[in-house]
Order: sequence, then structure tokens, then C-alpha cells
Amino acid sequence: MAAYIDLIGIRKSYGASPVAAVDGVDLSIQKGEFVTLLGSSGCGKTTTLRCIAGFEMPDTGTIRFSGEDITYSQPSERDMRMVFQDFALFPNMTISENVAFGLRLKKMRGRYSEAQIRARVEEYLSLVQLADHGKKMPHQLSGGQKQRTALARALITDPAVVLFDEPLASLDANLRKAMQVEIKRLHRQFNKTFIYVTHDQEEAMAMSDRIVVMNKGRIVQSGSPEEVYSQPNSKFVANFIDRANILTGIVETVDGSTAKIRLASGATLSAPTNDATISGKTVGVMIRVDRVSLGEDGSDQRNILRGIVAERLFLGAKNEYVIELADGAGRISVHERTAGAQASIGDVVPLCVLPDDIRVLAA
Amino acid sequence: MRAFGNKPLVAGLAGAVLLFLYAPLLVMAFFSFNASQFTGLPFKGFTLSWYEKVLENETLMRSIGASVYVGIGTVILSMLIGLPAAIALDRYDFPGKAAFRRVVMLPIVLPGVITGVALLSFYITIGFRLSLNTIMLGQGTALTCIYVTEVFARLQQLGRSQEEAAYNLGASQIETFFKVTLPNLKSAIFGTMLIVFSISFDEIAVTYLLTGRENTLPMALWSILRREATPEINAVATLVIAFSIVLIVIGVVASRGKDLVAASKS
Ligand SMILES: Nc1ncnc2c1ncn2[C@@H]1O[C@H](COP(=O)(O)OP(=O)(O)OP(=O)(O)O)[C@@H](O)[C@H]1O
Ligand SMILES: [Mg+2]
Repeated sequence: MAAYIDLIGIRKSYGASPVAAVDGVDLSIQKGEFVTLLGSSGCGKTTTLRCIAGFEMPDTGTIRFSGEDITYSQPSERDMRMVFQDFALFPNMTISENVAFGLRLKKMRGRYSEAQIRARVEEYLSLVQLADHGKKMPHQLSGGQKQRTALARALITDPAVVLFDEPLASLDANLRKAMQVEIKRLHRQFNKTFIYVTHDQEEAMAMSDRIVVMNKGRIVQSGSPEEVYSQPNSKFVANFIDRANILTGIVETVDGSTAKIRLASGATLSAPTNDATISGKTVGVMIRVDRVSLGEDGSDQRNILRGIVAERLFLGAKNEYVIELADGAGRISVHERTAGAQASIGDVVPLCVLPDDIRVLAA
Repeated sequence: MRAFGNKPLVAGLAGAVLLFLYAPLLVMAFFSFNASQFTGLPFKGFTLSWYEKVLENETLMRSIGASVYVGIGTVILSMLIGLPAAIALDRYDFPGKAAFRRVVMLPIVLPGVITGVALLSFYITIGFRLSLNTIMLGQGTALTCIYVTEVFARLQQLGRSQEEAAYNLGASQIETFFKVTLPNLKSAIFGTMLIVFSISFDEIAVTYLLTGRENTLPMALWSILRREATPEINAVATLVIAFSIVLIVIGVVASRGKDLVAASKS
């Protein structure tokens, strides 16, 4: 079944560069979805988005939108609006004129009367809390206000899809949080398809229905924020989504859906797996900092590791302990509530972690 | 912010530079009001008679008219070629683009005499009669490169994201050009018009070779000067300077005016 937007085998390289900026991307997006392309700088997020918007033509591949092939159609013919990282407001027009731009174009002629345009601009300016700023010029606004103007300018034309290219990257942390909430609210209110690009995993987690993690022009994993967080399919994703403890071990046996993994320190861990073929292989073992705790609590369900406290960092509501495992098996960071278990540097401590909180990653 | 440490020194230096640049002009303007047959001291009293003489001097007045005519024509002609060329260079890829760019810029480094001789032999070959219009054609083509460099630089600085935003909102190419690109080029275009006009106004080399029976102002002044240097010359020159200052003020106000108004409101 064709989805709302389908990218099929998109490849794009710039000029004579032998390395493709986007290297075979397949992606299906459902109507009304909030999808985020997440990845580090230069991984091809912007290029992918620009292909969807029509500013770049892929070298190979097809883009379908509502069942139609739009790969080579003009940007102005696509029912999609983009919010640019640098806002791209028109400096020679007032904020109201900027917002009204899409409504005053030839292709919209006859759709709205001048009075209706004015009313609609008012409406969208108050939607983004800029009701009193309509008469100002873009250079008189703050970064956040410019961003909201760009948002209103995109939404006012009632597009099917809104594209965002790191729209909050130039804003300070507080403002970024506030704008995230605002964009999320607009998504709920308008129920349009949002495709969002960012390199900030927290932002991606907070806003998206689905996160598409990219690396070197390819999609490495696509899933809900919970999925990519707790079930990353590779070390890359595990590390990128959140700082994770990743150890290396050898799978001794696979018994049903449980693998026994021996670490260099000699400890064995039980971890869930559904892949019997990993038996005997070297694998990565991922343990999130918040899923491991100091001390042993008696129940033999748990995996126990031992190590020496190498560092202790006070983080406010919690402490971070860095535990050095024996025999160079690696380090594990543990977050403990300040009110919870305590240890000092140099202590030998046990750590426990539930099998279900361990994720086996192909090495 | 403290930009400069030593204020009197800076002010003194700035004053010296200004004096160096403008003292000759002031002296000239001063003597244009001197009631004496000769340029030079002593000052024999204030008079406007040299200005009256200028206004009565039909050759001079006609040459001013000719210069303005050539100047305006040159401005329009070079814009009609230069503006599309700059846009093509910045926004479109076409075969031979690099070569085209160098060729368009060439007249900047060519001495005017060479340009003039080349055009002259060209006109003679195709049987054009020399007139003010041939001067206009010559200057217009030679000064096209100024539009290309100025507008091209502005386009580069502008980037494409505004235009992409316009396309993205559904604007056609034509709408994007007139509503988004052109307004951003306005001050560059206007500034270049003034530069081109003023270069055209005192151009001699190309003009000398391409002129027919009529003379432009610099040519007329030159031939008068070869006979005698009367304060009448000072009067014409002062008028030209006053006119240039008016043009510059208009240019600055027109290109910055909007920002000034906006800034004073905020
Ligand atoms: N116009 C261009 N010309 C040449 N190479 C380009 C161009 N735009 C991007 N690239 C290259 O393509 C690759 C992907 O770039 P892209 O802009 O898509 O990355 P990105 O994921 O958006 O990164 P960022 O987070 O830094 O914006 C990079 O290696 C970049 O150098
Ligand atoms: Mg980018």
C-alpha cells in the first residue's frame, strides 16, 4: 500500500562529488504524522528535505505524494511549505505582508478577498502570538518572533505538509523549549503532516511521532521515540539517541530467547534476544544509565556486575557514578537519585540490571 | 565601545584628509564668484556674472544637454544589458558561463582609448554615422560591466533562500523576481545608475573618438581651456559639483531612506 509520502531509493550527490549526500533513502510517511529526520551534521537530512520540497532533484529514485509522482515537479506546485533555518523572511515587507505573501499570489487569485486576507493574517498572527507585531519589519523582531512569523507564513496557505529544517537551531535553550511546545501544539491543532529535521535528539524525542535516524546519507533506524530509545538496532543509534553504556562481550549460549554473554571481566549477563545465530559471536551490550543501579537487591532475576567507583558527579536531583569494571571490560555510568544509594570514589560496588533492560547490538 | 583612543588626533587626521580632497574644489568654487577677469587672487568682489555668462553661452549649455542625454542613455542601455547578465551569471548554469563572465568583465581593464578605437572601426565598417547616439552605445557597452559586478555581488550576498521561500509558498518565477528579488536589488541598481551616470558624464577617451558634430561637456570645457582659462570654467565646474552632490544625496536617501524611517520608529 502506498503511504501518503513515499521516498523510493532516493540518491543525490552534489556536483562531481563521489560521495552521495543522500545514498538510497526509502521512507514512507503517513498522513498527519510528525516525522523527524535525526542525524549528525552532514548526514544528508537537509538534502532529503530539499528533495521532498523540490529544491533539489534526486539523481535516482522517486518521490510520491498522494499517489502522484512529484520527483521532478516544481517546488511551487507542491502542496508543501518549508520553514527555513534562517527564517528566509522577506526583508522589504512588513510582518503582515510576509504572512500574507502566499495568499496574494496569482495562483490564489479569487480565492480570498482583500478583507478576508486581512482577517486571515490577523488570525494567524495571533495564532503564533504576534498579533501586535504585524506592522513591524523583519529586522525589528527577535529570533523567536521571526521564527513564528515564518511558521505563520507557512501555515496560512493551508498546506498538506509542513517541512522544517532545524527551525530552532539559532534560538537559545529556553526559547527552543517553548517553540517545541508551540510547534507540537500546532501539529495537534491542524493535524497536518510535519516533516522535521534536527540534529538534537532531545528535540526529536520530545516532538515526534516517529524518528528516522540517518547516518552518512542512509537511514539506520526508523521508529517511535520509545523504540529508538529502548531498542536501538545499532551502536550508532544507541550512542546518538542518548549516552548509553556500551560494553563488548561474547555470546556463550542462546537458550530460547535469552542469551548468556560473557564480558572481559568474567561476569556473565543474561539478555533477551530473538536471534539464535549470534551464539559464539562478539556483540555489543547496551545498558542505559537510568536502567542500572548501585547495590544488589537479592533477587536472582538480576544481572550483577562489580566494579570500582572511578568518578562521582553531582547532577542535582541525581548523582552520576562512573564504575570501572574489572579487567578492562569497560566503564559504566550509573544515575542514582541523590536520596538513593551512595558510594565514594574507590569503593568496590555491585551493580544490578534487569535482563530486559539490556539490549544486544550487533558489534 | 571605545573605537578610537586619541580623539583629537583622529579628528585632525580626518580633517587633513578632507582638506586634501576638497580644498581645490572649494578654491575653484570660491573663484567662480570673483569679479575678476582672471582666476586667482586678489578677490575683487562678489559677482554672479560668470554664472550668467555660462547660462548665455550656447555652446556650453548645449554640451551640458548633450552630456545629460548621453548619460541617461548610457545608464539605461547598460542596465538593460547588465542586469539580465548579472542575474544569468548568478542564478543559472549554462555552457561557457566562466568564459562569459570574464568577457563581460573585460572592459573594466581595457583602456578607454582601445575601446574607443575598436568601436570606431566597428561603426565605420557597418556604416554608422557618428553622433551622440554612438557615444551612448560605446559608453553603454563599456559600462555594462559595472552593473554586472555590482548586481552580481548583491545577488551573491543575498543568497537563494528568500527566492526558495517564495517558490515554496507558490510564487511563479516572474512573481518571485518582481516581489522578492528586485526589491532587494533596488539600492544596488540605483547606486550603479549614479556611478554609471557620473562616469559617463566626465568620460573623454571613448567620447572623443566616437563623437560626431556635437560635444559633451568635458569636451567643450577642454576646448575652451585650450584657448583661455576664464572664471566661467570655474562657474560651470561648480555647477556640476553642486549637481553631483544633489545626485549623491538623492542616491543615499533613496537607498537608505526606508531603513532610516524604520529605525526612527522603533
Ligand atoms: N550545495 C551543496 N553543494 C555541495 N555539497 C553539498 C551541498 N549541500 C550539501 N552538500 C554536502 O552533502 C552532504 C549532506 O549535506 P546536508 O546539508 O544534507 O547535511 P545535513 O544533514 O543537513 O547537515 P547539517 O545538520 O549540518 O545541516 C554534506 O557532506 C555536504 O557537504
Ligand atoms: Mg542541514
